[in-house]
Amino acid sequence: MIEKEIIKRIGELARIEISPEESSNLQLFKIIEYVDKLKEVDIEGVEPMRGPQQQSLKTPPRQDKAIQDSTRKDILNNAPSLSDGFFKIPKVIE
Amino acid sequence: MNLNLIEKSGYEIARDIKDKKINPEEVYSFFKERIDKYNPRLNAFIEAYPDFSLSSSQNSSLFGLPIAIKDNICIQGKEITCASKILSSCRAVYDATVIRKLKEAGLSLIGTTNMDEFAFGSSTENSCYGPSKNPWDTDRVPGGSSGGSAAAVAARLVPFALGSDTAGSIRQPASLCGVVGFKPTYGRVSRFGLVAFGSSLDQIGPITGNIKDCASLLDIICGPDKFDSTTAQAGEQNFTEALGQDISSLKIGLPKEYFGEGLDPQIKERIEAAINFFKKEKVEFVQVSLPHTQYALPAYYVIACSEASSNLQRFDGIRYGQRAQGNKLGPVYEKSRRLGFGRETKRRILLGTYSLSSGYYDLYYTRALKVRRLIKNDFDRVFKEVDAILTPSSPTPAFKIGEKIKDPLKMYLSDVYTISSNLAGIPAASIPCGFTKDNLPVGMQLMAKDFDEEIIIKIADFFQSHTDFHQKIPQLK
Amino acid sequence: MKEFDTVIGLEVHVQLNTEAKIFCSCPTEFEAPPNTNICPVCCGYPGTLPVFNEGALRLGVRAGLALNCRINKSIYFERKNYFYPDLPKNYQISQYASPLGYQGFLQLSPERKVGIDRVHLEEDAGKLIHKQGYSLADFNRAGIPLLEIVSAPDIRSPQEAFDYLACLKLILQYIGVSTCDMEKGYLRCDANISLKEKESKTFGTKVELKNMNSFKGVRAALEYEQTRQAGRIRAGEKIIQETRLWDVQRLKTFSMRSKEEAHDYRYFPDPDLPDFAVSDQLIAQEKESLGELPSQRRKRFIEQYRLSGKESSLLIENKPLADFFEQVLKFYHDSQKVHKLLFGPFLEQVNLLEGGFDSVKISAKDLAKVVQYFQEGKINNIAVRKILSLAVPAEKSVDRIIKEEKLTQISDQVGLEDIVDNVLSENSKAATEYKQGKTKAVQFLVGQAMKKTRGRASPQAVRDILERRLKE
Repeated sequence: MIEKEIIKRIGELARIEISPEESSNLQLFKIIEYVDKLKEVDIEGVEPMRGPQQQSLKTPPRQDKAIQDSTRKDILNNAPSLSDGFFKIPKVIE
Repeated sequence: MNLNLIEKSGYEIARDIKDKKINPEEVYSFFKERIDKYNPRLNAFIEAYPDFSLSSSQNSSLFGLPIAIKDNICIQGKEITCASKILSSCRAVYDATVIRKLKEAGLSLIGTTNMDEFAFGSSTENSCYGPSKNPWDTDRVPGGSSGGSAAAVAARLVPFALGSDTAGSIRQPASLCGVVGFKPTYGRVSRFGLVAFGSSLDQIGPITGNIKDCASLLDIICGPDKFDSTTAQAGEQNFTEALGQDISSLKIGLPKEYFGEGLDPQIKERIEAAINFFKKEKVEFVQVSLPHTQYALPAYYVIACSEASSNLQRFDGIRYGQRAQGNKLGPVYEKSRRLGFGRETKRRILLGTYSLSSGYYDLYYTRALKVRRLIKNDFDRVFKEVDAILTPSSPTPAFKIGEKIKDPLKMYLSDVYTISSNLAGIPAASIPCGFTKDNLPVGMQLMAKDFDEEIIIKIADFFQSHTDFHQKIPQLK
Repeated sequence: MKEFDTVIGLEVHVQLNTEAKIFCSCPTEFEAPPNTNICPVCCGYPGTLPVFNEGALRLGVRAGLALNCRINKSIYFERKNYFYPDLPKNYQISQYASPLGYQGFLQLSPERKVGIDRVHLEEDAGKLIHKQGYSLADFNRAGIPLLEIVSAPDIRSPQEAFDYLACLKLILQYIGVSTCDMEKGYLRCDANISLKEKESKTFGTKVELKNMNSFKGVRAALEYEQTRQAGRIRAGEKIIQETRLWDVQRLKTFSMRSKEEAHDYRYFPDPDLPDFAVSDQLIAQEKESLGELPSQRRKRFIEQYRLSGKESSLLIENKPLADFFEQVLKFYHDSQKVHKLLFGPFLEQVNLLEGGFDSVKISAKDLAKVVQYFQEGKINNIAVRKILSLAVPAEKSVDRIIKEEKLTQISDQVGLEDIVDNVLSENSKAATEYKQGKTKAVQFLVGQAMKKTRGRASPQAVRDILERRLKE
């Protein structure tokens, strides 16, 4: 795949419209070329480090107990568009 | 008001409050006036709250003091912007855990500080509110991404501030502005309410004028939180107990990879001067090696951007924030995100999406996680031998606004010394240790093993008890 | 003509019976008014973090054990990334590389076993309602814990798929993991189906079926698809790998034909959640709480209560009824008699109730009394029906009904003889007819006598007396 097509494809996955002009300003492949440096490292037999936590938690931290949250009104107030307590959104199905 | 609060540290002002020499509201007004006067020149604040408010009368060591908050930490009822257009007019509906703790400790929130959009940057130039300026030279950047917080503290517009650090975003601006910046161990401070950038790397930390204030703030904000499962291994700690202790038996490592090519000679000189100071105090120094250091930056960009690409998917204009016009969902998503995100944000989202996408996943993402393990192993090995590691915080002093913004790789290199500790999860701080010939601050970085913040505090406190770099204040014209 | 083997795999999502959502504390009652059981976490607010609910883990482990799965001793969550407006974060927290359970099976019958590839935990999405020109989103359901149960491609016919679902549902209901009500969306099922030429070793192209709203719908969609695919292959056409939707009105599947942006979910470990150990202790506790599974209960009912296989199956398929059955037996020992009453006059009354078995008011103890009184001859069939019609829908004691309605059977022989005498003298015509050989006339006379007793006599006793008198 050529670079422009790759950018178009990942733009679609990331749901960001990208103009051809912007596409070159991003210098994405300059950075990809730089991170390709990782290929030099011998990673044979190395366990991936998913995060700084090294051990598993013994039990999930939250008990199964329902609590009604009090922020509902504030959450709805932030919505760009509402209708009868629903979030109103542009038509989903084409 | 003829008060000279700017020459006082936070804990000294707090003592005056306790002794009833001044009240919290007067302190607030003093700093609020400074913000009103100097912020137009520095652009350190996004919003400064006009009214003083205090929600607790609890007598903590910093009771009654104002604090500024980086604008990626949620304060209930206040706008949370992350310096991004996409969040315009979104109000936080809850307090971040750190905010709750600050309120409970009787601190008053004075405003939110400028930053690179979503913390993507090292200069605070990537802000939809325009760049912040370095108070030591307003043609220069304050560093980033917590540049607003560092500039505000350096100019004493506020005694201290909170920042967030994913790759050096607290320490690098602290270094460039001549203040103390502390990134605690991953998991030490709750991230609940911090708008996520790289969730496995982010930590909230203090930016202060001196290490004593920093230790007091850490006492307040640290600890396990039921709303953040990644804090489970952190214990409660009393960091102020590490102050005022002897350091003569310590052994500090100097990793050779941090003193090579790319390091500004003037910085190197200041760091060496600091090392010589410690040597005179019978601290032992040994050269150590962290061989995978050169791979930290590329591994970081893969991991941080992968996580960020997913974290930022929620900004779609459906439930909050800015929604572009349109009557079909798909184009509305794509337009909202095109108009709402700045260039660096798009760059990182796309890079992250790329490294997670099928066909590239193992090549980039999985490989980066393995390299991360190797970097962590390097530190584990070295910390068997030494108590702490000392390095420069930043390879250069504050650079000119616009100097690096067009070249992302050059900009990324600003974090070359701070990035590894985020990958490893270990604590690290930047401490002022001198000035260049152009009177630009220089910071040294101290790193320690997981959950050993005390050793950093101990060393920094000893240093500040014998030097006055942290007491210098920029002359604002 | 080419012959085919059908290869079916099912993907079932069930909503777990927790009180709170899987990563926040909101209640799981999603039929509440729109966007009432929401909070910053399940609305994907910036800065929020998921915190794992222990209840979801427990129910997941319990289901895994009941499905004979191996349980992973340490699990972690991953993010499945895709944009959709019912998904507040635009990623779903799910499991990918470390499912909670794997390599299980479901025993449909002594002969048939279907493999379970994996069971894993994930969060549900919200609900969308599509209107003219716009859509509406409700996040009450967002974050409700789901268990995804993926079968191996072991199912060989649409009927077997139906049996698998029925069996799975029953088990999950029995162990209290989910109500599995498909109409309410507590259970959802997608299917994969392909045809393989007999004797051939290679599998055919797989088609995914969605949008089935009942077990019968799943079976019908699979039957339709089986025929469609066979027809195409025989006609030399290719099967296209695609997702097809079941149209319940037209009883057809049709291709989704969406522009099918090739999905790329970019799964990666969720850095907000640490690894969780699934301790031996927790597994042992859940094993303990499994209780009796339906197949074990069926076997026990046959042995202990001398019910037939069919009777036993019918009973265990309705868990509340089976539980009630056993409660009644605590007060009256004769299982056959209790079963007979339960499946006869009792269910007749239950079926008249709008709320079905859930709204039954009679206690097990009172129902036992009804069986006992009937067996002792204290009440007759007619009285049984009368009592149940009053005691099943309303809280009313059986003894009181009998007293108030005077339902005790007249068993006093002398009293009955008098009544029969009366009937015979009042209906001499029928008596004569009987004597002339019209034996059917006795029915009429029994009826008349019963009328006089207002149904309280034993019809058999009346008949016996009548026949004796008429032969005198």
